[in-house]
Amino acid sequence: MTAAALETRGLVAGYEPDLPIVRGVDLTVAPGELLVLLGPNGAGKSTLVKAIAGVVPVHAGSVHLGGRDITRVAAHRKIGEGLAFVPQTENIFARMTIHENLQLAAAILPKALRAEKIDAMYRRFADLGAKPSRLAGALSGGQRQMLAVARALIVDPPVLILDEPSAGLSPKIVGEVFAMLKEINAGGVTVILVEQNVKAALSIASRAVILVEGRIRHEGAAAALLGDPLVAKLYLGTGHTQTAEQP
Amino acid sequence: MNPQFLMDGLIAGAMIGLGAIGVTLTYSILRFANFAHGEFLSWGAYIALALSGGIGLLSTTLVKPIGPFSFGWSLPLAAVLAIGLTGLLALAVDAALFGRLRARGGAVIILVMASFGASLALRSLLEFLFTSKPAYYTKALQIAVKIGGGLRATPDQLLSLGVALVTVVAIHLLMTRTGIGRSMRAVSENPALAGIAGVDVRKVIRVVWFVGAALACVAGIMTGLLVQIRPYLGHDLLLPLFAAAILGGIGSVPGAMIAGLIVGLSEAAAVQLIGAEWRAAVSFVILVAVLLLRPRGLFGRAA
Repeated sequence: MTAAALETRGLVAGYEPDLPIVRGVDLTVAPGELLVLLGPNGAGKSTLVKAIAGVVPVHAGSVHLGGRDITRVAAHRKIGEGLAFVPQTENIFARMTIHENLQLAAAILPKALRAEKIDAMYRRFADLGAKPSRLAGALSGGQRQMLAVARALIVDPPVLILDEPSAGLSPKIVGEVFAMLKEINAGGVTVILVEQNVKAALSIASRAVILVEGRIRHEGAAAALLGDPLVAKLYLGTGHTQTAEQP
Repeated sequence: MNPQFLMDGLIAGAMIGLGAIGVTLTYSILRFANFAHGEFLSWGAYIALALSGGIGLLSTTLVKPIGPFSFGWSLPLAAVLAIGLTGLLALAVDAALFGRLRARGGAVIILVMASFGASLALRSLLEFLFTSKPAYYTKALQIAVKIGGGLRATPDQLLSLGVALVTVVAIHLLMTRTGIGRSMRAVSENPALAGIAGVDVRKVIRVVWFVGAALACVAGIMTGLLVQIRPYLGHDLLLPLFAAAILGGIGSVPGAMIAGLIVGLSEAAAVQLIGAEWRAAVSFVILVAVLLLRPRGLFGRAA
């Protein structure tokens, strides 16, 4: 039996030990899946992925990557273990150039590989390669996301987690970012996505998990979830939108 | 106005600049004002004094002055060892005090107060070990030579300027061209993201303590060489160091050095224009003016 790309067992996490935000999450993500984590505000989606990434303390339970327990692995070592994380905001080093951002991320690779990997990212993301000496803080919202994803992908991680990559982007750019994620997933990377942009996320995801008050309330195929009116009304807010539009 | 103030100001400014680089690095990465930083200057100066004396006892030829300078090879050798030991002292202080407070999630004000305590303890220990009587690396007298433009400087002063220049260029290259420099800048900008990107933040913090204290040691030795060595050597420079670090913009290495030169030149000019008793007020005026008018300093970035 193939090990799950990522698995959490009874995960309890939060900033304070006596105030857990994630309350016992059992999540299994198969290799090559594109999973979207959905749920209302405050459901614990971002806290869950931050806990997996090692940014938020885990108080109980465990996190397994490709069958290895990485619960107590320090946050800075998780990228080396094969788990890349792109936070929602401040996900690039704005005071550094594009090239320096990528050099920093490539530093965990053997020296001989670094330049080759950075060049590969420039080929993949032509906007970044066009002017690598540009200050990252001067990039547009879409280009920033591109750089954040390139920084995460440079070490060829088997698992990529993104926290609301569409936040603050125009609809056109959101489409481009999601198409990029779909392509990355097609290349064999397991992608876990936290999103508020429900329809767009479900349209690219293979499976969805809905989190409510720190616990998994529903999971299933993304396509089925997209067409489920009850789930949409209860958890995704689409029912509220319809109500609000009624006179 | 006597143009000699330019040379006096540049020399004082170079020492302030070197010390300010350490302040700006620790401030930008550890995110608190370390008021114990001045003590690393004093400790560096005294460690070099003790080692230089010890080397002198082992070999008298190493005490004979090198060329036009007032000191023998015992001092540069002692300086190299002292730089390492002062760096280790800073690491020990961090491990014993600041690191523990960080691990407990101590607020910035607690770290600042702790740095006041550390400063007092380190200075008192220095007075206990070496007494408060001034000491000197050498008693040899040096004659200032004409260097053009109506300016005079001793060979020791010119060497100190050269060492300061080489050091600041080296630190600038370290920060901009090396992996550890990039990691230091990354931690300075966003420690959480740096960790996610694979940077070992704890290692960076250790490097920052070491480099900051090493630079303080160099500044302390130069101040000891050009003036005298006292337990209050670093403490008395604390206000100019912070004025320079803030004027240069927190996190900017070239900014700290340029601002150090500005502070040094301003102090030297004030001595000639309004009297030596106002020298200390210059740093305070600069500090307050920068905080009121341009808090991010000359080369700092907006928050």
